Amino acid sequence: MHKWIIAGIATACVAGAVPLAAEPGVGAAVPNFRAYDMHGKIVDLSQFRGKTVVLEWNNPGCPFVKKHYESGNMQKTQAAAVAQGAVWLTINSGAPGKQGHMSGAEAQKFVAAQRAKPSSYLLDPQGLIGKGYGARTTPHLYVIDGKGRLAYNGAIDDKPTADKGDIASARNHVLAALGELRAGKPVSVPESRPYGCAVKYAE
Amino acid sequence: MVWIRFVLMSLALWLAATPASAQDRGPHVRIELVAETDRPAPGSEVTLAFASAPEPGWHAYWENPGDAGLPARAAWTLPPGARAGPLRYPVPQRLIIAGLMNYVYEAPFAPLVTLRIPADARAGQQLPIQVKLDYLVCTNEICVPEKVELATMLTVGDGAVPTDRRARFDGWRAALPRPLGTRATYQVDGKTFRLGVPFPAAAVVSGEGYFFPLTDGAIDYAASQRVVRDGDRIVVEAPSKRELAKVEGLLAFGNQGFTLSAVPGEVAPPSAASNDWIATALLAFLGAVAGGVILNIMPCVFPILSLKALSLVKAGDNAGNPRGEALAYTAGVVLTCLALGGALLALRAGGAAVGWAFQLQDPRVILFLLLLVTGIALNLAGLFELPTPGFVNRAAARGTGGAFLTGALAAFVATPCTGPFMGAALGAALVLPWPAGLAIFAGLGLGIALPFLLLGFVPTLRRKLPKPGAWMATLRRILSVPMFLTALALAWVLGRQAGVDGMALGLAAALLAALGFWWAGRRQARGASRAWLPALPLLLLALAVVVLVRPAPAGAERPAVAGAEPFSETRLAQLRAESRPVFAYFTADWCVTCKVNEKGTIETEAVAAAFAKGKVAVLVGDWTNGDPALGRFIERHNRAGVPLYLWYRPGSAEPEVLPQVLTQAMLRNLSSGG
Repeated sequence: MHKWIIAGIATACVAGAVPLAAEPGVGAAVPNFRAYDMHGKIVDLSQFRGKTVVLEWNNPGCPFVKKHYESGNMQKTQAAAVAQGAVWLTINSGAPGKQGHMSGAEAQKFVAAQRAKPSSYLLDPQGLIGKGYGARTTPHLYVIDGKGRLAYNGAIDDKPTADKGDIASARNHVLAALGELRAGKPVSVPESRPYGCAVKYAE
Repeated sequence: MVWIRFVLMSLALWLAATPASAQDRGPHVRIELVAETDRPAPGSEVTLAFASAPEPGWHAYWENPGDAGLPARAAWTLPPGARAGPLRYPVPQRLIIAGLMNYVYEAPFAPLVTLRIPADARAGQQLPIQVKLDYLVCTNEICVPEKVELATMLTVGDGAVPTDRRARFDGWRAALPRPLGTRATYQVDGKTFRLGVPFPAAAVVSGEGYFFPLTDGAIDYAASQRVVRDGDRIVVEAPSKRELAKVEGLLAFGNQGFTLSAVPGEVAPPSAASNDWIATALLAFLGAVAGGVILNIMPCVFPILSLKALSLVKAGDNAGNPRGEALAYTAGVVLTCLALGGALLALRAGGAAVGWAFQLQDPRVILFLLLLVTGIALNLAGLFELPTPGFVNRAAARGTGGAFLTGALAAFVATPCTGPFMGAALGAALVLPWPAGLAIFAGLGLGIALPFLLLGFVPTLRRKLPKPGAWMATLRRILSVPMFLTALALAWVLGRQAGVDGMALGLAAALLAALGFWWAGRRQARGASRAWLPALPLLLLALAVVVLVRPAPAGAERPAVAGAEPFSETRLAQLRAESRPVFAYFTADWCVTCKVNEKGTIETEAVAAAFAKGKVAVLVGDWTNGDPALGRFIERHNRAGVPLYLWYRPGSAEPEVLPQVLTQAMLRNLSSGG
């Protein structure tokens, strides 16, 4: 009981710390946020300053998310990003009672079962981070450069379908952006239209 | 062996043909592929429909799904030479889920596709049409991507369309948005995306306006929009996301939609734009009060008010109750104005485009007013006196009830005069929220009543009025002149609305009424008892005429295209059989280009003369309400919408499709057979 009260107060504090800035434009500084990860640890975006950060919106029940997890495409992208020294934050903005909402324990089970490779899996049940970044779909991906500026905003690739067969021939926008950032080149496709299920925000 | 091959082939044909009628049941959207005709002619175009019915609680997506979701994708397998066009969608609905906008269909809908049949297809040839449709279907909670394979078998034939199929396709076609044709412009003004769409002020639309963007990324979908009709344009304002070279989309009013394409350009904010409508309302209110004061000296109001003035002058002597009368008079004026304004606003809410003095658009109302005004004028002229229970008499008499009635009458009669003076204020009343609109109408009434309110409450003013005497009778006679002028103006309006016949009928009714009044007046002069008895039938007869007056047919309003007939394919065939040259044009009230061509070219005297000389028959197709029969005809000429101008030369099989911008010289040359 005591533990829950503390957790509740902490959640309120963390939530209060989340800036409710408007959706950041490409090239603009991104809003900072702090959130609990699936182990109950607080993760602060600013602690990764100097590193490239990838944000991935997740809803395990969404067929478009399943497309990229069941095919192993998302895990491969995560592993490649982490291997390059980038930080991968998977974020779940599903509200309690809605499809895809997970507790920390459920998220741990999901990550283990899918052999997912995020640096952290963050829980955002109030949708504060999601709305602050303008996340609309699952999946929806953002790449933030080492200076804390938005380098990419959009879909994982250029084949907006739920068909795993389309992955092989698709251009992975996230891997491309990460490669270009590493090479010191401008990101050639800095924005695309995210596709997938709507983020199941609280009403 | 031959019979085995026959049986196998029949079986194969049967298997292939079955899906045409069978309904493929997708899990959450039932989709049926229907061809408008199963026997298309070689080289023709046949329309296919994906008749879709989402399960209750589920929604399918429009071409632009909004913040999330996916549009459907069709992969066709067609016989060689056949080509399928893009999916054409009906007007979608908006569905906001947890702050994210979805453009969807929750009710049955049918995207249409145009399929071109190869020109070298032989009669009797089988054309198997197959399509794989990938689409997303969602509830408010979950999404499911679905796939369905649909097929139908067409046989090359005569293109005959079964009647039931025609009716279904007519319904689906009517749900499609219509291309606006005229180029729209848009401007990003700070954080506001402002879209300016040319749209004639006279075009009638109903329902709330909304702009569905087809181009992604121009505006924030979930944010609320402001759609304002501003003269000959519609202005849409929404929060901007980023500037794009071109923005396409669909402007919808209820389930009526117009597709448009917008390029960057300057778009002025709508004229009644200020978000603080209170300031606008206040300004318009003051304007209305001032306008009302001016109306007091208008010929249509002045004489009635003068009746009241005379009675107040009388009241100047003995005590009476001038304040009570002034207040009752004010109440009469203001309440009548409010009632008229309220009716106008109610009609606006109902979607009808009506202007102020809308009741004056009905010739029956005009004729009634003509009789009333003639009666008042004759009374002022001294032809007869009103007996005690009479309407105007009571009005002229002292007493608060009478004062109230005078006020009501003055306000009602004042409406035809308000137009030119009050246009701006009343225009504002129609675009403002309804309480502000009503305030303006109340202001108008207050303005009309103001002089009498002053007379009633300031005794010094009343004392300044001249003493009653013989001059009052003379003044009364003089006042009959503006009243007769009003009657003249009403007769003219009646002539405009109901034609020469209607005007003659109206004047005859006025004459009957005048005879009645005259007769009654003579008997009154002789002191006969029941002086009104013989005049009553005449007056009733005059009133009966009111019922007979009908508005002249709309065509009569276009004198320059005299002889133009409504378009129908049968009439076209008849005229062509008579080997007359035929000019058929298709127009709509909301089509700016059409109106420009009509005013500047088609309806000019030079063109009318050339048409008359060349014995050119003119057929007009009005597509304002999206008539499906006209829609099919327009489509057959490879146009998605209006304007469409067709010239049929006698003897030639196919019409000449004229350019969308007409010139007088072009039509004159064609009429002279050049």
